[in-house]
Amino acid sequence: MQIGLWQAIAVALLYYICQSPWLGCMLTFCTVYRPLIGGTLVGIILGQPVLGMTIGATMNLLYLGFISAGGSMPGDPALAGTLGVALAIASKLTTAEALALAVPVGLIGNLVWYAGMTVNTIWLHQADKYAEAGDGRKVMFMNIVPPQIFLFIICFFPVLLAMRVGPAVIGKIMENLSGQTLHVFTVIGGMLPALGIALNLKAIAKGSAFVFFILGFFMVMYLKLDVLPVSIFMGIATIVLYNLSRTSTSRGGDSNG
Amino acid sequence: MVNTNEVVQEPRRVARRDVIKAFWNWFFFAQSSYNYERLQGMGVACYMAPILNKLYTKKEDIAAGLKRQMAFFNTEPSFGCLIHGVNIAMEEQKANGAPIGDEEINSLKTGLMGPMAGLGDSIIQGVITPILLAIGIGLAQKGSLVGPALFFVLETIAIVAISFAGWMQGYSRGREGITDLLRSGVLRKVLEYAGILGCGVLGALAAQFVSLSTPISMVSGTTTLKLQDMLDKVLPGLLPLALTLVVFYFVRKGKNANAILVALIVAGIVGAMLKIF
Repeated sequence: MQIGLWQAIAVALLYYICQSPWLGCMLTFCTVYRPLIGGTLVGIILGQPVLGMTIGATMNLLYLGFISAGGSMPGDPALAGTLGVALAIASKLTTAEALALAVPVGLIGNLVWYAGMTVNTIWLHQADKYAEAGDGRKVMFMNIVPPQIFLFIICFFPVLLAMRVGPAVIGKIMENLSGQTLHVFTVIGGMLPALGIALNLKAIAKGSAFVFFILGFFMVMYLKLDVLPVSIFMGIATIVLYNLSRTSTSRGGDSNG
Repeated sequence: MVNTNEVVQEPRRVARRDVIKAFWNWFFFAQSSYNYERLQGMGVACYMAPILNKLYTKKEDIAAGLKRQMAFFNTEPSFGCLIHGVNIAMEEQKANGAPIGDEEINSLKTGLMGPMAGLGDSIIQGVITPILLAIGIGLAQKGSLVGPALFFVLETIAIVAISFAGWMQGYSRGREGITDLLRSGVLRKVLEYAGILGCGVLGALAAQFVSLSTPISMVSGTTTLKLQDMLDKVLPGLLPLALTLVVFYFVRKGKNANAILVALIVAGIVGAMLKIF
């Protein structure tokens, strides 16, 4: 499929939006930043919404437990979900091939994050000066305008370039991929969700809460339940445990007092 | 003349409209200039700047307020809203002569940012987002555009509701209310149980979406013994579980996420080439 200039511009713009705060800081991060949404939007831009959605959904599996904690990022789902999906549609890749593309693309996208985290200190020091002078409007300006101009430059232009030259390059690479190589990527694709889940687990598993991870795992394995029913049962169990612990502590308090 | 003016000054209030305006300011630009040095520090000063302009008339007071609010700050932006509501309430009290020093404002913020980040990471990144994503991806893989649409709508409702409620609660309860909440230990308890729920959901996600199997088989006489069949009889999902736990072990040891990512890719390539996986 031939990608027009305007479509390439739209995808590049979409990638900037995924990284920007214009839909709300946390809301952007929890919606368009995910390949499920990004891929669907790319599909709409390229006139194949369902195809974009399906590829995006598969790529999103890599980033299922994706978490940003303490300012570090394991990969960039947004670049995989926008540029990755667009290139996959343009080069008529299968979903397994698209997964193969998502891994390196997501890694490259990390650069945007680190570049922003580093360069934004420039505006911070500028803002310090304005704070010293008591000029609140200029502090707000420094928080919003310069970092977004910088972010736009490092997001928009590289993606636009990749959209123009990418399909030809990807086509060449994929022609030379054997069945064995695709199997390799399918294996990697199955393994990578473990990383996001482990990172997420590290952030939230405190003390004995970890046994519930094992419980959730075997509820799916033995009872063949989906994530939603497991979540419902877990939610009810958590509420019961919470109430039990409250009554037991208050009773303990009575006997002590 | 100036002196008499100061003596009979009316209390300086922040209008509800300004509190809500500050909320949207934070909602959008909390991490607009996220950086290694002070993370969300500039985002805090950004929403507070218009409020300081309302509370103070003297340039020095505004400058002192901006400097105070530009300190290092980092939390989960949605649950963190509670802190900012309190922060505004404290600035308001301070402007009206309450004996609140820079230290107290800063220690309230830094004291709350850890628990709020824990709560936010557990509930938003650990529970709400993965559950909604799992539902959305499930529908999407069946070819239904309802999947992404539903995910987008539910996620938006959850995040806006949590953020806005926290912000207004923090402002109306103020420092005393929040200190009471902290002292009662409710927050720590909720955090603990949110962690339990999150762990359960992550376990389900690992079971459903981490996949690893082995094609190794042994031929003895006329029968072929498939290793995977044997493993399934011992414990279904043994390989995905073992993989997740190994990765978790390294994550917990503080290994860099990108290093683990590369290690996983290498392991996948080697394993697939050698026909182990």
